[in-house]
Amino acid sequence: MTATSHDVVIVGGGVAGSLIAKRLSHAGLKVLMLEAGPESTRSFADYNAHLDRFYAASAKGAESPWPPAVGAPQPDGGDIGTGKGYFVQRGPNQYGSTYTRTLGGSTLHWLGVSLRMLPEDFELQTRCGVGLDWPIGYSTLSPYYDQAEHEMGVSADVAQQQYHGLSFTPGYDYPMRHIPQSYSDRVLAAAVDGTRIALGDTSVAVRVRPYPAARNSIPRHSYQPRGAIDLDRRGNPYLLTIGERCEGNTACTPICPVQAKYHAGKTLVEADWRHLELRTRAVASRVLVDPASGEVQGIRYQRYERPDAPNFVEQTATGRYYVLAAHAVENARLLLASDLPGRSGLVGRHLMDHPALYAWGRSPLAVGPFRGPQSSSGIEEFRAGAFRAQHAAFRFDIGNDGWRATTGAPDTTVAQAVLQQGLIGQSLRHRLREQLGNQVRFSLAVEQLADATNRVSIDPAYRDAFGNPRPVIDYRITDYTLAGMAAALQVARQIFARAGITDCTGQDELSFPTVNYQGRNFAYHGMGHFAGTHLMGADPRQSVVDSHQRSWDHRNLYLAGAGSFPSMGTSNPTLTLAALALRIADDLIAQFPNAAGAAAQCGGL
Amino acid sequence: MTRLEQFIAFSALLTGEEAVALSGTGVAAELLAALDEITGAALTDELLARFAALPAGMQAEQAAGDSIMADPRLGPVARNVILLWLTGSWTQLPDAWRDSFGASPSDRNHVISAQSYQAGLQWTIAGAHPSGALQQGYGAWAMAPGSTAP
Repeated sequence: MTATSHDVVIVGGGVAGSLIAKRLSHAGLKVLMLEAGPESTRSFADYNAHLDRFYAASAKGAESPWPPAVGAPQPDGGDIGTGKGYFVQRGPNQYGSTYTRTLGGSTLHWLGVSLRMLPEDFELQTRCGVGLDWPIGYSTLSPYYDQAEHEMGVSADVAQQQYHGLSFTPGYDYPMRHIPQSYSDRVLAAAVDGTRIALGDTSVAVRVRPYPAARNSIPRHSYQPRGAIDLDRRGNPYLLTIGERCEGNTACTPICPVQAKYHAGKTLVEADWRHLELRTRAVASRVLVDPASGEVQGIRYQRYERPDAPNFVEQTATGRYYVLAAHAVENARLLLASDLPGRSGLVGRHLMDHPALYAWGRSPLAVGPFRGPQSSSGIEEFRAGAFRAQHAAFRFDIGNDGWRATTGAPDTTVAQAVLQQGLIGQSLRHRLREQLGNQVRFSLAVEQLADATNRVSIDPAYRDAFGNPRPVIDYRITDYTLAGMAAALQVARQIFARAGITDCTGQDELSFPTVNYQGRNFAYHGMGHFAGTHLMGADPRQSVVDSHQRSWDHRNLYLAGAGSFPSMGTSNPTLTLAALALRIADDLIAQFPNAAGAAAQCGGL
Repeated sequence: MTRLEQFIAFSALLTGEEAVALSGTGVAAELLAALDEITGAALTDELLARFAALPAGMQAEQAAGDSIMADPRLGPVARNVILLWLTGSWTQLPDAWRDSFGASPSDRNHVISAQSYQAGLQWTIAGAHPSGALQQGYGAWAMAPGSTAP
């Protein structure tokens, strides 16, 4: 066993850990980052090997470019509903989401949607009598949203994002202009913008609106977009010019070939490497705690050389403060494996996602799908309203990639034309041009509330190759969310009808888990939006961390990530967890009174 | 005409694509080799011989339908050649075919290679580009379809 000592030890090299590491290192704090996965995303050549893997993969799911190491297994979309894989799913519903354990984390394959949570999302219990309130409000987080949007590089126009009470710092705008809306978006907007859609007893005028995306666009002022990353001959990280604009690769998920979409590696490049030590292939296996004080004394981890072998050596990292930024599921799993369920008993509980439905159809006009970022617009009108007392809020993501996600197009469209319709030559081309050119798809992401029985736990019977317990998932989608799904489908049908889109929802559908509601089966999928496994709150008996994400039980430990969310609204969680991570970094720096001085000193070197 | 040239000419008829464009994908030899490997070079030769015997010109597509696509042994393989070109992937032959004519161990769904995926004709037919490659550039997606297609 070897011991080293740092100011702060961070577990996890994803977006939260990287943002914290960058900020702390620039304040002169000595930081050690442990990352379970390999470092194969640091050099441009290695990143491109992941891209080749994606090209050659039969199933091009979110994990296809990012295979796990033997000792750092991860959930895979192909395992859902099979009873196989990393997760032990106890039901009654299947948890449909996955994540990646490679340096950079799930930002390697996320879509890049970077919506702020709405002011009312933080006060759902107070305003609507459902869910849990946050101990902090939008106004506390707003300046951190500003910072996170600049750290990650978010493209949007404030003028288009002031809705549902979202306010911005006076004079503020996003670092880059909004990503151009696709032709398909514009055709839809021409048909439905301003049209009123019924929801329950009311009606709402909808608009096809560009959403904030962490993909590079045209910069404002002096902002410098961050492109792809690479290592120089001495192994030092730097930014390339490739990827300074989105080039429309239509592959945000699972891999942006030019790295125009944000991933956490870009943040790590900008850390002060004189103060940051990165240790990859290091699987945290136990948090060591002083039983008397409750303080964390170290992180035991398993270091491996080869990602394809089950061999490791055990080491321990020590510091004054610790941050678990390993992912909502991994944070909870690690604490539980360390016999630290929390005095509240809430570690692992309140697991959430955005269970989502697809709606798809044929546009009356050719819209040119399979081009551009996988989506560029949404419909945001149903994210807020008095109806949230009765059923879940939802938002629409409008696809630019035809029926890829729903039926497996274009391959399945081609197979049908060739194998079933028997077409060849010019008649085949003519048919395909028509059949591929009018495909439209909505993804309807539905809010899910924190429910203590939805949880991550461990069971000694289920272990991975390194002997670490695998996550056991209990998951139920309740009527509040199911009623939201039903409402979302009704809205989709109305929008299709107004736009003259022939509804094909359900036809030739790929395999998804289903859930029954009032006699109807909804095929749903996960959005990758894991949240709620170490709730933030004002009361130590009803939460795991305080409003700075500092553990109530272990005062030198912070739990970063969406695991801290008491509710998620309808926002993709990455931007909010990034803002919260920056807030952790500031709180940590405040624990080191000499840190600012150290930073000034380093700046002069 | 070399065997590869014959394969390209045959593929041009099946896919409706110009022979020069198929040649230009750079994957013709790889697809031919995959076909030979999966269903055997003798069967490929038979397909090419049947193709060579078709009348030239406008009637070729119709004649191919009668002489090749309707053939219980050659038809399914020819259809798979179309899928190879359009998607870059091999699709397992129907069970009935495998029962009657033999199941090759390499006759399973798979992408031939990273290159064949990117060369798939389905993307350009749709006026698009393969997901993750040959991107059209910043903002091209805001233009009407066809205005950016080759």
